Amino acid sequence: MNLVRSELLKIRTTSTWWWLALGAFLSIALAFAINAWLAVTTLGGDAEEIGVSAEQATAPAQAANLYTSGQYLGLMFVMLIGILMVTNEFFHQTATTTFLTTPRRTSVIVSKLVAASLLGFMFWLATTLIDLAAGAIFLSANDYGTQLGEWPVQRALLFNLLAYAIWTILGVGIGTLITNQLGAVITAAVLYLIGTQVVGLLFLLLSNVLDSQAVLKWQVIWPAVASQVMITEGTSEFTPSWWVGALVLIGYALVSGIAGVLLTRRRDIA
Amino acid sequence: MTDGQRSPTNDGQIVVSGLTKQYKNVRAVNNLSFTVAPGRVTGFLGPNGAGKTTTLRMLLNLVTPTAGTATISGQRYADLATPLRQVGAVLEASSAHKGRTGINHLRVICAAAGLPKQRADEALALVGLTPAAKRKFKGYSLGMKQRLGIAAAMLGDPRVLILDEPANGLDPEGIRWMRGFLKNLAHEGRTVLVSSHLLSEMQLLADDVVIIAAGQLVRQGPVDQVLGSMAQGARVRVRTPQAEVLAAALKAQSATIETDEQGVLLVGGVDAPTIGRSALAAGVELHELTTERPDLERVFLELTAGKAGIR
Repeated sequence: MNLVRSELLKIRTTSTWWWLALGAFLSIALAFAINAWLAVTTLGGDAEEIGVSAEQATAPAQAANLYTSGQYLGLMFVMLIGILMVTNEFFHQTATTTFLTTPRRTSVIVSKLVAASLLGFMFWLATTLIDLAAGAIFLSANDYGTQLGEWPVQRALLFNLLAYAIWTILGVGIGTLITNQLGAVITAAVLYLIGTQVVGLLFLLLSNVLDSQAVLKWQVIWPAVASQVMITEGTSEFTPSWWVGALVLIGYALVSGIAGVLLTRRRDIA
Repeated sequence: MTDGQRSPTNDGQIVVSGLTKQYKNVRAVNNLSFTVAPGRVTGFLGPNGAGKTTTLRMLLNLVTPTAGTATISGQRYADLATPLRQVGAVLEASSAHKGRTGINHLRVICAAAGLPKQRADEALALVGLTPAAKRKFKGYSLGMKQRLGIAAAMLGDPRVLILDEPANGLDPEGIRWMRGFLKNLAHEGRTVLVSSHLLSEMQLLADDVVIIAAGQLVRQGPVDQVLGSMAQGARVRVRTPQAEVLAAALKAQSATIETDEQGVLLVGGVDAPTIGRSALAAGVELHELTTERPDLERVFLELTAGKAGIR
């Protein structure tokens, strides 16, 4: 518990989190504007024109989308915080002090994982409160009602929380794998932003080669896709059930957490 | 005790035993054993690259030894229940987040170690850094960084202090402060182990020395004894107007004699009293009779000759 407190204090006493929070806030604003436009268009009956399926063109589905605005970049920002929690220790050579204070390295990494998920929770809370306020006003103003009583909406909000916690944990795992600060941040950001498109293309290619649409569902093995699948209502030819996405993400969090602990236990701190 | 495990004590003694670290191509530390006693300042000396830092990092569980053990008060560092309350370490000057203030750096450590928050203020005051408490680390001078490192080490009021090259980059005033500070800690009965390649500094500070070169122990003991062991081979400088007469008398006692300048003999193999007696017996007038005291610097260079440098 002391260790988690110490980890949270580490984050609070530098300005990094503040910049990432600002970035997350801007991405909420941007995403909300886009999602609002999407909601008006699809619910106004033009869903077909912009390629949104009928299943997605319901008021609850669009409300869920609106209430999770900013998730795409927000998840990247919490992942970056997770990465920085580890790489900062090496970049600023504080790993020595940290491990002198707590020679039990497993405890250090576990406390980082706990602090990371708490931080993920804080980011989710802030994002969701903003989205709820703005979304409820927007939907009511357009006569759709707040839709907050709908299960798909509630489910999206809850699983979004899971996503924030897991992505921060994933960041900690990546940080222990790549301790070079710049290397870890760039690798993770590129994989997150561009990797998803590349994976999408690869699977499209693969489905053509194999002449099978079912292959596309396997995109879910990519964490960013899994995250999207988890909070999306309903299935289609291209997306598996939400729980598949959830399992994949939890799997990644477990693997990176365990790998982080094992690597850190063995590493010489020089 | 039967299985070779030491029972934990709180005597503050450091015991290094058979410590070895093999890196890919280099044996950085090779079967190194020594002990460090409480209540004294022990200088850990060696040329750059001798393995001092690696040894200290193995002692502190930061680097895993290939073989051997290192214990503090009879326990491995990793097994200490409250490490910061027992051992304080200052390893490198730049070990704080550049964007964090000095006081927050200490508070983070206090939180992790379960120490009360006000220990951070007390430790800062102890090293005279209170005025810079709320300044960010990147604005600290090298001397201030070194002081912050010491403040961090003192947070838990530990019995044992371990410092790696604390004098590096300090101005003369800072070095003087550090010397007084460490001597005072040893005087309070704490164990103080200080690594350095600055030998002149150690001669002023240390009670004991452990000298290593190329990862191996060269000499260990009280400063006086290490110096004294070298003094046995030291020569005596004699100034006399009758150099030839005295030289002949001394050669009869199988002394080795060199002449330095006109009227000066450098005599080896016999001590100063013997030379004095010979001179008296031969009726030779003496103007100077001095045993050349080897300083630690020379001893060190002789002891580590040929082993220093890049490996």
